[in-house]
Amino acid sequence: MDTDLALVRLLQLVSPALPIGMYSYSQGMERAVEDGWIADEAGAGEWIGGLLDRCQARVDVPLLARLHDAWRLGDTGALEHWSRALLAYRETAELRAEDRRIGQALARLLDSLGIERAGRWIRHPSATLATGFALAAVEWDIPKERAALGYLWSWLENQVLCAVKLVPLGQAAGQRLLRDLAAGIPELLGKALALSDDEVGGSAFGLALASSRHEVQYSRLFRS
Amino acid sequence: MKSFLATLSPKGEEFGEPESSAGEGWRAELELGFSRARSRTILARRRHQGPLAVQRPFYPEGEVCHVYLLHPPGGVVAGDRLAIRIAAADAAEALVTTPAAGKFYRSDGRAARQSLALDIEAGAALEWLPQETILYEGARAACDTRVELAAGARFIGWEILSLGRPAAGEGFARGAVTLDWQILRNGNPLFLEKLRLDPKAHRASWGSRGHAASGTLFACPASEQSLNAVRELIGEEPARGATLIDGLLVCRALDPRADLIRRCFQRVWEAIRPEIVGRAACPPRIWAT
Repeated sequence: MDTDLALVRLLQLVSPALPIGMYSYSQGMERAVEDGWIADEAGAGEWIGGLLDRCQARVDVPLLARLHDAWRLGDTGALEHWSRALLAYRETAELRAEDRRIGQALARLLDSLGIERAGRWIRHPSATLATGFALAAVEWDIPKERAALGYLWSWLENQVLCAVKLVPLGQAAGQRLLRDLAAGIPELLGKALALSDDEVGGSAFGLALASSRHEVQYSRLFRS
Repeated sequence: MKSFLATLSPKGEEFGEPESSAGEGWRAELELGFSRARSRTILARRRHQGPLAVQRPFYPEGEVCHVYLLHPPGGVVAGDRLAIRIAAADAAEALVTTPAAGKFYRSDGRAARQSLALDIEAGAALEWLPQETILYEGARAACDTRVELAAGARFIGWEILSLGRPAAGEGFARGAVTLDWQILRNGNPLFLEKLRLDPKAHRASWGSRGHAASGTLFACPASEQSLNAVRELIGEEPARGATLIDGLLVCRALDPRADLIRRCFQRVWEAIRPEIVGRAACPPRIWAT
């Protein structure tokens, strides 16, 4: 029954209702749409699928896994190291501010839920979403692979919701995107978790450029 | 929907590093050390092995030491290994550039490797402004650049890449190059990036959107003032962007032609050099030829 409870906790953690403000960030997509780089359902699928492969599976997931280990072992040095590395991989000021703000918001939430170790990350300059996410997973007995799966899903769902709003797409198109893109998650997860420290790292030039340009976008709905 | 579903099933070879093997290629190493001697910066240390060299330094602006880095073979082939280390000691001011575009030729399967290490001490300024690197269709290479900044170190650097040779009608339907950038300040990571350029990234909306040329310019320590100057300069151009992350200015550009990015970056450099390095721009003469 322990496993079932851990799964329920994971569902709580990945729910869009988690009050950390994820919905207000598009991660450059708003500008990519504005500049005409994403024009339809297939275009949204190409963009999100590319970032899933080139960024999420090569940076976020492997670092989330290392943060999970660090919380489990109580290794403060490793927590600092990987959180700082994750922020250094964020390509622009906006993407860095986003991860820091969401990470601090999650730390505050976890602290209010009685997770004491979250306290010192509420104002920590290297707080990231993955730092808090990994802590919650360890506290709630969610295994590393499951946590990584949930993290990817929650990123994917948020990106698809952004596409539905921005492109815009119909609700059914959004669900098709989720179904099709999610099909690749298990395989990506396996590769992401097998990366050695030297192999970790990724980037997408278009994302970096779109996000830089979003910082000066005149009229916008999203904070990134 | 096929097009993007394909991106979700990376083949093993796409995911890891390009395969490397003990090739018969050139092994070249170059080590440069700049330091301050009374009124100007001198090239105090110079060691090289294999085909990498520098010409005698120039002093077109008095105190700053300008150096041209030469790679006599003119291009990198499969199995080659190039290693360049440049250090700028306290109060040294140096500008390093190249007289010609770098080239990575088509590979027979083995990867070429290039590593660049820049070490800048407190109070020193180093500008790394090479001409563009042309990655021939089918090239396989791993390039890593590691910049170590002490507190108060000043740095401007750029990397301009051309995928294939568009002027010769060559695209980039084959090949894979990884570009690994690490910029550390006081030993802590300030900026990390591992870019993989392959045919998919060349075409994709999240990659280069079919543009042959891409470029990234870094400058540190930069302020909002520099950021605004750069943004004003790049204006409404459709494929340019700039951001300022923790004191590091990063300017990016896509273009059908690498020389247009070089021209754009040269203007950016001219605009920010006074703030970053404390000197007006003095373009190396070789850029004009």
